[in-house]
Amino acid sequence: MSGVLTADAVIVGAGVLGAAAAHHLARAGHRVVILERGAPGREGSGTTAGNLHIQAVHSQRPGQEVPLDNARFLPLQRAASERWETLEEELGASVELRRSGGFTVAETPGQHAELVEKHAWETGAGIPTEVLDGDAARAALPQLGPTVIAATWCALDGYANPLKVTPAYLSSAARSGARTHPYSPVRRIDRHREGWRVTAGRDGGLVVDTPVVVDTAGPWLGRVAAMAGAALRMSPVAIQMHSTVRLPPILPHLVQHIGEGLSVKQVAAGNLLIGGGWPARTLDLEGRSLPSLASLHGNVRLAARVLPFLADLRLLRMWAGPLAATPDEMPLIGEVPGLPGFLVAGGTYAFTFAPLWGETLRCLAESKPPPVDIADLGPGRLMDHADHQADHQEERNTQC
Amino acid sequence: MTADHWNEPSGAPETVTRDVLIVGGGPAGLSAAERLAAAGLTVTLVDEQPELGGQYYRRPAPAVAERWGDHRPEGGALVERVRAAGAECRTRHTVWGVDDDGRTLLAVDGEGRPVRLRGRYLIIATGAYERVLPFPGWQLPGVATPGFAQHLAASEHTPIGERVLVAGSGPFLLPVACSLVDLGVTVVGVAEAGTPYRPRPAALGALRHPARLRELAGYVTRLARARVPIWQGHSVVRAEGTDRVSSVTVAAVGDPAAARTFLVDALCVGYGFRPQTDLARMLGCDVRTDAVTGDATPVTDPRGRTSRPGVYVIGEAAGIGGAPTARARGLLAAFDILIREGRPPARRDLLRAGAALRGLARFTELTGRLFPSPARLTSSLVPPLPGDTMICRCEAVTAREIRAVAGEAEVPAPVDVNAVKARTRAGMGPCQGRECGVAVAALVRSVAGRTTDANVFPARTPIRPIPLRALLATETTPETTPKTTPGASPDALGPATPQEERP
Ligand SMILES: Cc1cc2nc3c(=O)[nH]c(=O)nc-3n(C[C@H](O)[C@H](O)[C@H](O)COP(=O)(O)OP(=O)(O)OC[C@H]3O[C@@H](n4cnc5c(N)ncnc54)[C@H](O)[C@@H]3O)c2cc1C
Ligand SMILES: Cc1cc2nc3c(=O)[nH]c(=O)nc-3n(C[C@H](O)[C@H](O)[C@H](O)COP(=O)(O)OP(=O)(O)OC[C@H]3O[C@@H](n4cnc5c(N)ncnc54)[C@H](O)[C@@H]3O)c2cc1C
Repeated sequence: MSGVLTADAVIVGAGVLGAAAAHHLARAGHRVVILERGAPGREGSGTTAGNLHIQAVHSQRPGQEVPLDNARFLPLQRAASERWETLEEELGASVELRRSGGFTVAETPGQHAELVEKHAWETGAGIPTEVLDGDAARAALPQLGPTVIAATWCALDGYANPLKVTPAYLSSAARSGARTHPYSPVRRIDRHREGWRVTAGRDGGLVVDTPVVVDTAGPWLGRVAAMAGAALRMSPVAIQMHSTVRLPPILPHLVQHIGEGLSVKQVAAGNLLIGGGWPARTLDLEGRSLPSLASLHGNVRLAARVLPFLADLRLLRMWAGPLAATPDEMPLIGEVPGLPGFLVAGGTYAFTFAPLWGETLRCLAESKPPPVDIADLGPGRLMDHADHQADHQEERNTQC
Repeated sequence: MTADHWNEPSGAPETVTRDVLIVGGGPAGLSAAERLAAAGLTVTLVDEQPELGGQYYRRPAPAVAERWGDHRPEGGALVERVRAAGAECRTRHTVWGVDDDGRTLLAVDGEGRPVRLRGRYLIIATGAYERVLPFPGWQLPGVATPGFAQHLAASEHTPIGERVLVAGSGPFLLPVACSLVDLGVTVVGVAEAGTPYRPRPAALGALRHPARLRELAGYVTRLARARVPIWQGHSVVRAEGTDRVSSVTVAAVGDPAAARTFLVDALCVGYGFRPQTDLARMLGCDVRTDAVTGDATPVTDPRGRTSRPGVYVIGEAAGIGGAPTARARGLLAAFDILIREGRPPARRDLLRAGAALRGLARFTELTGRLFPSPARLTSSLVPPLPGDTMICRCEAVTAREIRAVAGEAEVPAPVDVNAVKARTRAGMGPCQGRECGVAVAALVRSVAGRTTDANVFPARTPIRPIPLRALLATETTPETTPKTTPGASPDALGPATPQEERP
């Protein structure tokens, strides 16, 4: 067959994870081809809140069935935090990185107890946090409302502008020779000699042979893995964000809630972003997911209770984005058992983990030990009940 | 403020349920409301302005009306008939979104209270925006649109300035210039980008064109008498000034060398109108790109029916055609609903309304042929703009920044308006790209070529920035007793199939 390209690694999906992997692989001298179904960085990575979650997160976003395992998360968060610290230097670009710290608030005694418990885990993982009572928290952040009875403070929490992060990773990868093919959906992935043959493009005209395929297709990760013959039990969802009009600097820190879905911060341009994982009205993997008015109400009500000054602002816009969730809400990274050279990476909080997973994927591609323990985060755990898997995912996709 | 205050919804939101719900109280919405209410259907008409009338029938301020009279008394009479027919009129109600059911409209009233609006039929009559195109200096105070100047003149009897230049394109420039002259303003000239008044302006009246063109010729004569020059084939090159516009430079389109500068204290520039379609798009009505104007326009039939059963789009929201067309469209939509409700109007009324719309369409077509197409104007005026021209005024993004992103080779992705928005913030401000979207798209096309389908910013909730406080009162959605006609036929509003263009 003529016109077949060869590469050392083919990356499927140019979101923040695919872009980070491309950067790490290309910089290490590998020939990288990135295949993206649409425009790069427009799905989860273009709609994300962009928070760097370093202190333990609220373990159950609204509508989420299984809480995530916070204690297991923390060492990964710490490793990610270290990598963000040097990222702008590494990429040679500003991504509006801001480590201005964040509060996680509690409004009930039960939630207060959770803060104390999580503080102990954080200390164990080497993440410095501090538990404050309501008044101390209000003294530190006077915008907090009267219902806040306690809060943890973590100076490492932060933000980076997602509209800059993925492009910066891709530019860096391009400078090291990586080729991005936008509007080139991957259609087939076949076993070829010792490696893989990946067929992409609207007319299937782009064919690349490679020993390593990196599936970072976000909410489509399961579909792409299925092309290579792996049935992964994924549960993609769509969640939404809300933005107020611009304001002079008023909220210097990230504010989250330990018991309910909430994140609020002010971005460099002055808008306040309100999120917290509230479910969108539709998950549309073919088109654009639409935000829900019910979630808007719920999220804004909660936000204005914790930060009453928000009530006097105006809502400027809202949007929804798709998210590659796993049934256990834990990150997904590793080689698919039985498919040598086929790597997957995705799952919740992928923005925070991007620098870590980018580096980890390079190690996996080079058959080197990863920088953190990922033994329990691999795709194997999503491959049991083989017969039901495909059905399950189709159902989730069409039902939303 | 106590904590309890936020824990408790501060009262259930009001839900209004009617046979017909109309958004927009201009000529189109009013005409529909009058017929529907007179036939006995329950009708609510909402408008964000303090008074009904829309753009064309905008009511003068009371003091102005007393002293100078009503410039369009037929508008006041129409509003009176709508009220007399029993339509509920809610002014100062801004519709900002569509609820998750795909049919309940969400509004906020003048006091910031939420109101939910439902109709078995929905009529969208939200009118038009003025079409503005950027030029260097357009962000200066004293630079306005012709429509704004006209409103100041008609409803406040206040001139926009003492020495004013009017520019842009389209038949609307002439009546605006005339209104200013009537107020004693020195109009230094009218720069029309096209060449509609050829061979000689005076010849126009003699051509036995329909009334619309005779009207134009009348304006030309009045301006000639006031010694106001009309420069055809000319456009504004730049405006200058420190705190406010103080001079404006005009040149022949495509020949900036032959430029002339005029001292002014106000400048009005506009290129006609374009449909305000956000609500129709949010309701999932199919839209198509109009070849002549380049605007995304709802697909409608002459009765105003859209792809969504039970949802009508009428007036300028369905395509620019002027106030008489807006009225005719309102009437035809009302008749269509009455037929579906088993209360058909007299055959004679139907025939007359249909014939009127067809006649008006010929007028519109004729005027359309006289003036350059907005799509062509945009693609000839925007690409040559100097780099420091502010394109997005809300976020202060220049042509240079947009071109840089659109032409960037490092990230090998075809660039469309959404990519430019993400990289430069153009279109992210309070107007959400409604003003600059057309220009951003034109710049992207001129640098990157037509690369993807996305050439307009998608319609996003909310349509206007709304106070968050208005949301705090709405959690539950209690159903108040519907006020619809007893024994009315089943719900006409088809299933909600929300749809928007791809990002
Ligand atoms: C609203 C929202 C808020 C969030 N907030 C945060 C936060 O504050 N902090 C945090 O850490 N995380 C957050 N997340 C999660 C995280 O940011 C995103 O999930 C992350 O950006 C996803 O990156 P990704 O690269 O895995 O996937 P994506 O960005 O979704 O990229 C996947 C790419 O794969 C492409 N693709 C799919 N199928 C194919 C195919 N067949 N061929 C080629 N390409 C294909 C897609 O087009 C897409 O571009 C949020 C997510 C959302 C939606
Ligand atoms: C600024 C401006 C000035 C104009 N001046 C003239 C003029 O002097 N002479 C002339 O011949 N033509 C003028 N026009 C053209 C004019 O639009 C039409 O001739 C005619 O008014 C169209 O009638 P309509 O009923 O379709 O819309 P309009 O008359 O525009 O009425 C639409 C109504 O909908 C309301 N509305 C829109 N969106 C919402 C929302 N989300 N919630 C609640 N209410 C909403 C508006 O407040 C408005 O009252 C002007 C247009 C504009 C934009």
